Amino acid sequence: MTSKAIYDWVDERLGLSELAAFARHKTVPVHSQSFWYYWGGISLFLFMVQCFTGVLLLVYYRPGADAYESVRQITFVMHFGWLIRSAHAWSASLMIFSILVHMFSVFFMKAYRKPREFGWLSGMALLGIASVFGFSGYLLPMDELSYFATKVGLQIPAAIPWVGSAVANMLRGGPDVSEFTVQRFFALHVVVLPAIFLPLLGFHLWLVQRHGNAAPPSEEAKPASERKTMPFVPNFLRKDLAMWLISLNILALLASVFPWSLGKPFDPLAPAPLGIHPEWYFMSPFEMLKMLGSVLPGEAGEIAGILLFTLGIALWLLIPFYDKNKESGQRARAANYFGLLAVFALLATTVIGYWTIR
Amino acid sequence: MNYPFWDIPILGSGWVIGIIAIFHVMISQFAVGGGLYLPMAERKAMRMPEGQLRTDWLKQLASYSKFFLVLTAVFGTVSGVGIWFAIGLTHPEATSTLIHNFVFGWAMEWVFFLVELTTIAVYYSTWDKIDPKLHLTVGWVYAGASAFTLIIINGILTFMLTPGGTWLGVAGTGHEASKFWYAFFNPTYWPSLFLRTCVCCALAGIWALITASRIDGDKQPELKTSLVQWSVKWLVPSFVATPFLLVWYLWMVPASQQALLTLGIDTIGSGTFSIITRIALLIIVTSATIVGVAYFLAYRNPRDFNLSHAIAILLLALIATGAGEYSREMLRKPYVIGRWMFSNGVRVPYVNRINQEGYLAHSNWVWNNSNSSYSRGEAIYRGECGSCHTLGGYRPLKTLLAGRDRANITSFITMLHDYKPDSPYRRFMPPMTGTQQDINDLTDYLNYQVNPPTTVALKPVQTAQK
Repeated sequence: MTSKAIYDWVDERLGLSELAAFARHKTVPVHSQSFWYYWGGISLFLFMVQCFTGVLLLVYYRPGADAYESVRQITFVMHFGWLIRSAHAWSASLMIFSILVHMFSVFFMKAYRKPREFGWLSGMALLGIASVFGFSGYLLPMDELSYFATKVGLQIPAAIPWVGSAVANMLRGGPDVSEFTVQRFFALHVVVLPAIFLPLLGFHLWLVQRHGNAAPPSEEAKPASERKTMPFVPNFLRKDLAMWLISLNILALLASVFPWSLGKPFDPLAPAPLGIHPEWYFMSPFEMLKMLGSVLPGEAGEIAGILLFTLGIALWLLIPFYDKNKESGQRARAANYFGLLAVFALLATTVIGYWTIR
Repeated sequence: MNYPFWDIPILGSGWVIGIIAIFHVMISQFAVGGGLYLPMAERKAMRMPEGQLRTDWLKQLASYSKFFLVLTAVFGTVSGVGIWFAIGLTHPEATSTLIHNFVFGWAMEWVFFLVELTTIAVYYSTWDKIDPKLHLTVGWVYAGASAFTLIIINGILTFMLTPGGTWLGVAGTGHEASKFWYAFFNPTYWPSLFLRTCVCCALAGIWALITASRIDGDKQPELKTSLVQWSVKWLVPSFVATPFLLVWYLWMVPASQQALLTLGIDTIGSGTFSIITRIALLIIVTSATIVGVAYFLAYRNPRDFNLSHAIAILLLALIATGAGEYSREMLRKPYVIGRWMFSNGVRVPYVNRINQEGYLAHSNWVWNNSNSSYSRGEAIYRGECGSCHTLGGYRPLKTLLAGRDRANITSFITMLHDYKPDSPYRRFMPPMTGTQQDINDLTDYLNYQVNPPTTVALKPVQTAQK
């Protein structure tokens, strides 16, 4: 049987030629900001690395009382166990970083406008779930650092007025972080979150295929004859894959030169080591809460903090519904200033957060 | 600075050599590969039929030779001198051994280097000014001279890893130079030469892609396509032959050195020297990526190949080269000259004598005979540990010894001193040489660093700095 005959056989059943025809006609805008189009693909690639390395870690990881010992074996006994664990941990951080870059590039290119509102909302939901992935995964080694960092991190949900302590207790499986918390976080990390994340990711990707890549307002203002595009297959795909390869190299460099180590086993009776802090992507909200707490001590500060967060996130989420001036192609300055303020606030509070723990 | 103990805090003096050397290797190997690339490209252009493409190729080559001249003759030369300066300060004993054994080799190297510098200057300045055939001949002379610089330096570099039994048989007798050629054509000479030649060709192609990427593919599609695709072909020998050459190279390395590569397979434990495995892995990943990016983005899509793609390939090549040179250096552990001189400059046959007479009695360097144990310990630390460790930066002793009290530090140093066959550190660390008093002095110094007294009555006398 020739390869053509095999292709025809599969095509007849799966409709491959329709897919190929769709891919041939799909184009991507080419302009000075095209570079930002790659960040969604990079995030997807890093998620695939997460899945691959996560499944390999799952083979040896034992949640509960044995958690620390199993991670110790992975890191210091298994052949290349340290590499898989380091790649998993580093790709988590890189994935959240690339999702953030993707989000801000979508924001500033105004790619959330009609008809891409669901793309924006589903992307934001994916970022939210990715950060919960990070938070739940951080505790799993159950070493001193992850134990105390989780305790600190759980101060954020605990600060929610009225229901905060109940939510925190439910997440911990008791009044304090323990092996029950590990069990819960493990279930969340490998079953619950993937079950929500994967279909949502499929929906997000389907929307991207349906509406294509959005051009920024400056491009839309140009007459159609002046706009450039490139075919998705093979030109953009080739470049996208090259970006994946480069991301893989950055990941390999970080995982090899700075492998993720393992601290001492946790001891709930020991005092928290100096300089305990949440992961970098939680540093900003953590620092904002701390700042508000110092300005408005007590419950008032907590309530003000949560209200401010809720308002900020709601404004961010709902941007497609109040920044709609697509037709004119002009830049909505208020939305741009809001975006710049968000970037500045995130960076500044993260830097201050790291500065104050030194 | 306190010559010859070149105390570089945080970074460590080894890294100063490393940074200069990686930069130098990127340029010098490009000079060798590029030396061949230029006349081959010129010959190819001269064989093309008369027309626009031929003219464009030659114009492009003339502009490339300017870039080439500046990069190799300026940056290559400065970084080469920088290496001499740095190794002389960091490893005076090893540098002295190299000079004593290879003075004739260095003389040849510098002759070829002078020819190389002269011919590239002539080559660049005589485009369209002399007969094209003569110009091409100048290019071939340049290619030959630069190839010989590699042929010679390769003998000296490989000697440091595998000096060979014949040279080791006369080492220390004062007749070492009589075995010059045995030392030169040592066991890893040939695999290393072929390996480096392949890398040189690949670097020539990669650097040429930088200039080719700047050609406007819409305005000069034929020139860009032909030049980009021809440059990519220079990567082919490297990626076909390198895996086999690496196996050959490692085959010629002593088994104890080969074993170093496996130390990090199952651990990242502190002080286990696992870094060499991790860095070696990077060579595989980055090299494979260069193949993929060069083929898909450059060869298959030459007109869209832009400067950022070319720089990405160059950065990957920099990582691969850096990782390769780092691994090669680390493979020599615990020696700086295989089986003859430990990485802290102590000659292997001298260990017993130093153990009986004391380390400081054999230290060739400034020493003021202080009675302070701390001060003697500091001098021993600088001589015996400082080549590879810093206190608080690269391979930090404060971190590596953290959690140990004085007794524990003493027993650790004693273990390094006894150097028993089953000691795990024996695979990558030299023995601590000296008397029991030296062990105590070094312990005093390190204990003060690791467990500084909470109430300082009297600051120890730091006479070793004088």
